[in-house]
Amino acid sequence: MLGFGTMSPHLSLHGLRLLDRRRFLAASGSLSAMALVQLLAQDGLLAVADSAASENEGGPLRPQIDPAAPWRARPSHFAPKARRVLMIFCSGACSHVDTWDYKPELIRRDGQPLPGQENLITFQSEAGNLTRSPWNFRPRGECGKYVSDLLPQLGGLVDEMCFIHSMTSITNTHGPGENHMSTGFAVEGYPSVGAWISYALGTENENLPAFVAIPDPRGVPQSAQNNWSAGFLPAAFQGTPFNAQRPITHLAPPQHVSEAGSRAAANLLALLNERHLARHPGDAELAARIASYELAARLQLSAPEASDLSAESQTTHEAYGTNHAHPLLAGFARNCLLARRLLERGVRFVQLFNGAYAMGEGVGNWDGHKYLKDQYEVHAPILDQPAAALLQDLKTRGMLHDTLVVWTTEFGRMPVFQKGAQGRDHNPSGFTCWLAGAGVKHPYSYGATDEFGYRAVEKVTNVYELHATILHLLGLDHQRLSFFHNGAEQRLTFVHGRVIEEVLA
Amino acid sequence: MLAPRAGKTSALWVSNSQGYNSNMRVQHLVCLFTGAVWLLALPARAAEDAFLPVARLLVKYCLECHSGPEPAAALNLTTREGLLAGGESGEAAVVPGQPEQSYLVHQVQSGNMPPEKTRRVLTEAERQQLVAWVAAGAAWPEGRVLDPYDFTTEHRAGKDWWSLQPVVRPSLPAEAADPWVRNPIDAFVLARLRVAGLEPSPEAERLTWLRRVTFDLVGLPPTPEEIEAFLADAAADAYERVVDRLLASPRYGERWARHWLDVARFAESAGYEVNTARPNAWPYRDYVIAALNEDRPYDQFIVEQLAGDQTGAEAATGFLVAGAHDLVGIKNIEGQLQQRADDLDDMVSTTAGAFLGITMNCARCHDHKFDPVTQTDYYGLAAVLAGVQHGERVVRLPGYEERLRHEPEVRRELAEVQARLRELLWMHEPVAGSGQVRPPVSPVGNVDRFLPVRARKVRFTILATSDAEPCLDELEVYTAEQPPRNVALEAAGGRATASSVYAGGALEIHQLAHVNDGRYGNARSWISAEPQAGWVEIELAEECLIDRVAWARDREGKYADRLATRYRIEVAPEGGAWRVVASSEDRALYQPGSPPAAPQERLPPEARAEHDLLASRIDELRAALPEAATMSVYAGAFKEPEPVRRLHRGEVMQPREVVPPGAVAALGRPLELDPAAPEPLRRLTLARWIASGDNPRTARVMVNRLWHHHFGRGLVATPNDLGWHGGLPSHAELLDWLADEFVQRGWSLKAMHRLIVLSATYRQASAPRAECVAVDAANRLLWRYAPRRLEAESIRDAVLAVSGVLDLRMGGPGYDAFEPNTNYVKVYIPKTNFGPAEWRRMIYESRPRMVPDATFGMFDCPDASRSQPQRPTSLTPLQALSLLNSPFMVQQAELFAARLRREAPLDTTAQIQRAFLLAFGRTADEVELESARAAVASGGLESLCRALFNANEFLYVH
Repeated sequence: MLGFGTMSPHLSLHGLRLLDRRRFLAASGSLSAMALVQLLAQDGLLAVADSAASENEGGPLRPQIDPAAPWRARPSHFAPKARRVLMIFCSGACSHVDTWDYKPELIRRDGQPLPGQENLITFQSEAGNLTRSPWNFRPRGECGKYVSDLLPQLGGLVDEMCFIHSMTSITNTHGPGENHMSTGFAVEGYPSVGAWISYALGTENENLPAFVAIPDPRGVPQSAQNNWSAGFLPAAFQGTPFNAQRPITHLAPPQHVSEAGSRAAANLLALLNERHLARHPGDAELAARIASYELAARLQLSAPEASDLSAESQTTHEAYGTNHAHPLLAGFARNCLLARRLLERGVRFVQLFNGAYAMGEGVGNWDGHKYLKDQYEVHAPILDQPAAALLQDLKTRGMLHDTLVVWTTEFGRMPVFQKGAQGRDHNPSGFTCWLAGAGVKHPYSYGATDEFGYRAVEKVTNVYELHATILHLLGLDHQRLSFFHNGAEQRLTFVHGRVIEEVLA
Repeated sequence: MLAPRAGKTSALWVSNSQGYNSNMRVQHLVCLFTGAVWLLALPARAAEDAFLPVARLLVKYCLECHSGPEPAAALNLTTREGLLAGGESGEAAVVPGQPEQSYLVHQVQSGNMPPEKTRRVLTEAERQQLVAWVAAGAAWPEGRVLDPYDFTTEHRAGKDWWSLQPVVRPSLPAEAADPWVRNPIDAFVLARLRVAGLEPSPEAERLTWLRRVTFDLVGLPPTPEEIEAFLADAAADAYERVVDRLLASPRYGERWARHWLDVARFAESAGYEVNTARPNAWPYRDYVIAALNEDRPYDQFIVEQLAGDQTGAEAATGFLVAGAHDLVGIKNIEGQLQQRADDLDDMVSTTAGAFLGITMNCARCHDHKFDPVTQTDYYGLAAVLAGVQHGERVVRLPGYEERLRHEPEVRRELAEVQARLRELLWMHEPVAGSGQVRPPVSPVGNVDRFLPVRARKVRFTILATSDAEPCLDELEVYTAEQPPRNVALEAAGGRATASSVYAGGALEIHQLAHVNDGRYGNARSWISAEPQAGWVEIELAEECLIDRVAWARDREGKYADRLATRYRIEVAPEGGAWRVVASSEDRALYQPGSPPAAPQERLPPEARAEHDLLASRIDELRAALPEAATMSVYAGAFKEPEPVRRLHRGEVMQPREVVPPGAVAALGRPLELDPAAPEPLRRLTLARWIASGDNPRTARVMVNRLWHHHFGRGLVATPNDLGWHGGLPSHAELLDWLADEFVQRGWSLKAMHRLIVLSATYRQASAPRAECVAVDAANRLLWRYAPRRLEAESIRDAVLAVSGVLDLRMGGPGYDAFEPNTNYVKVYIPKTNFGPAEWRRMIYESRPRMVPDATFGMFDCPDASRSQPQRPTSLTPLQALSLLNSPFMVQQAELFAARLRREAPLDTTAQIQRAFLLAFGRTADEVELESARAAVASGGLESLCRALFNANEFLYVH
């Protein structure tokens, strides 16, 4: 473990002893809890104190966080299948009926009204007639699962995938929909699934953040930061946003600052803090803060290394398409490659976004209201080759064995076109996401929408169940992983959810 | 009543200190304690006495299911009748006097009830109690109906929960006589410490206390001068005078407003996916700062924030709508209802949490699981607030009424001064055709002077423009008399005709009638339909002697296109021929794009001085007009609401019965309000109901907030929740004493601050002491002052103060920490270049919702998604990176270094000492001096400054 056993430029023996003593206390009985209480100061973290006691009752489980090393690996509740998660999030609501959810009846009834829903108003406007996908579907892989021609390369990997065709959302608006998919709540201010997981488990490489969000080269998604927010959890568990185009903020000082200047400042700071600590013996938070500078120094070294794609082979670059003539495809490909490098280095949760919002409806994302065919023909290739290469790469390197891949979007789209438009309106009543890798059945399809893809009708599931299943695969009990806040035990799955046992391998 | 209560709480307190927070043992004691109070509060009636213990068992084990409109198994255990009638089993639940015939007893004895899933089991003693009660005849007071909320149990709070009981001022403990005690606060604190066998810490050093109290009250470090003065002040009241100075400083309101704005979930954008900015939300922020600085009584502060539109504090209602609001319109009805329900939930939850310490949102879908708050309570509050809509409304700012009284004379003088100014400028313009080259045309205003001439008609003909069709916002024709009159005005009988009108007059803002309507600006203008050409003619009411024509493209200065660059002005007398009186021929060439010189630039010095005098008088007079004291403020709009219905499971598509406006029943006095009361009266009535000394929560909640901010933790650790999950106060009597004192002192916050920071408790040193850590590591007993990291705003403000560039301008629109952009959706890209505009206190940073400040957001700034009464203190390596490397901090270190060079030129040692004094309030010792010299030698003064800004000594108060 890289930690305080190694010599630190900032932390004296005195500081080390103080931290070790506190860590020892934290690991032992009830008094330890009080030592932590003093450190963490606030009610939320106070809850740490109860975890040992409640363990016996099947009550809430609240991991003990060492403030000097918030990202340190922590044990799961039970043996995990997955050690890390990659979530590919297609922002803008990627149409299931044009990608993964094959509906022969929709093709047959093309141009007819959706039965029983003649006067339906969905999100943006009145519904028009049923409209078949502009792309053909054909059997793919060994299993022969029908997938559309829109995403041929991802389609070629259906044998690895575990489809959930009966996903539903509680909202039909993008922002709340993304919030719901990322945090379980449609309103803002709740911790992201990645934040919950890094709170629970820390990470296997403390020199990198436990949770990294990789925004699309085109910008951030609809709900922007809220997708990787720590909500009420400690700020250390917030997703650190960076991608192949924009490195971690403030990793280095502005260019005009000399290295000698930075070194002089760091050395003086170390001395000042050390002497200050000596004047305030017993204040572990001061020592922990010194340690955070040490961690920052290591991050300054490890983040550029992890982001350095030049170390990858030419074959790899070509497979992902990092040098593709289409700059957005190449940009997303670099983000995909970055994702693999981060996962490889032990980052616990990588949330990789495809699509951004600033340019408006459907222009830079999957929100195909008016010109579905034209827009998807732009967006699909950007996703297809790089994401397929990433999945294939994880498999080739044996990483799928203990990496869970989740492909998702905030909700689906209608099988009908909007009245007077060439695109589909929002549809939270049934859509598709898929899992791959650690601990899930494949090839496998779970649940189904009706004959047109309008509503989930078979084994209807929801985001809470998806979250519960993700936690389960990581060895976490979604009903017990908890944080006490604003007068209640808070959970990722609120009061809902069950593990979708059927998809577990 | 006081004595037993005090005894119980102190005994209780000891166990509480060892395992705070929903600990079973503690809660059991809570039950005993509150039960005792309840008992004492009741008249001693025999039946009641016999009944009570069993009533408590029924509440605790049975009523969760066996009560309400649809009790489980049709068995209602809230009344004697229900008990005797039994449920689906057909048997009586209880046969008085015959336990063995009683179904209820059987079920309990066999372990069937309570069911296993509840994980609740009666103790042997409780079972015997139940059996004995049935055997003794199952006494049940006449007509008594049990309520599941009657008693606090191990699992939840009942109506007897401590914070629902009236505040009763406790007598001072015997420790009041102890020499350590400076005021009553200390007596309560010392009493608790002594029960635990502890003593308080020694007094903090003077400098430590000064730094502590200065950051605490004003959020800035003490200046070297303030430090020197205090350390040298041997007077007995030196501490008092520091506190009075700090409380009188406007910096106090800026510091403490932040605490309240966190609670009010105030942010200056809508939130959700479009997160559009709310540029007119800041008056609420300024209202809070001003209210705190003026020490507005807290009861008034409450009323204003809920109903300030009724009490002359308009911007205060910004509180109601300070939360997020989804601007994305949904077409279907369910989506619209859901959005509205979410808005109302935000208002209800924030109001209840902020003022009453109730977690009201728990009762949105079902009765509260832990506090005696029903779904009906929730929808009653929702009905009070149901008329509040997100959005702006035009409000009158302070001073409006006064301005209105003086408006006629201000307008009169304004017209006079404007005329004089105009005359002054025009008299210095050359006369057309005089041979002197006249200045080029200007989009914002031109005058063409000519020799007096009799005219019935005036024609302005455009021959060329800067581009496109020409635009005139107003054409004025003045008489050659004193004072000159504009006879072109339609109101003066002028009649306009023109060659053409833009778009055939289809655009409301470009009409021929606008050319002589007396109103300026693009929105009241005429444009011709001919590129580069067109004419306007004014026929005057009668022939006049005239000597000038004034015209402009846009006197408001927003538009510079469509400017007439070549033109001629002709006049004709009654029945006479046209003749040219002025034209562009003798004007200098117009240079498009280059800003035209203002006419005052051309004035000779004496006239220029007179001009400036008049111009500043015009500014003064304009600022004195009533409209200068109005603005559109994001303070909500109000309309009469539809009836509010309870939503089954909180689902908008499952409305149930109508709920009239109401308050929280468990808080005692109901809201006296006609169900049909008009909207404003609903809010006003609720506000007054809250802002009352009788309300058991209001004063307690606020003094607990003050305590929280002064000591880092409230007497109840959860300032927005004085219910079950908030647990017991660490010092119940102190909390009640403070609450009562607060009301007695006219709800003065400053009086309470003064009391608290001048206490011996607050003056303690911060060093941990082993014997105390062993008993109370969390310092709930207050055996020391717990050290704290500065909050984000204090760090930033302190950095600016120390670097010497802090701009203390108060109020008005905030500065933006993000680059401006006009995307479809506002994209918040952090600025990386900072200048004086960003060097105001951080309370004046326009804070978008959900988007943290790039440098300081990491330091636990709330995202304003919901009310946040306390901030965590987290530690992440990204904080270290921000303080070390961010452009903001690097620049501040450079500015700090520049300040040192200015204030201690050419002497490194003096510079280092000055730096330590400014940053830490003390000088460096020899070791520090030596290391600092080394740092300066290899990295410059900037390296020293960067190190100081990152030092724990800078970032923590002790």
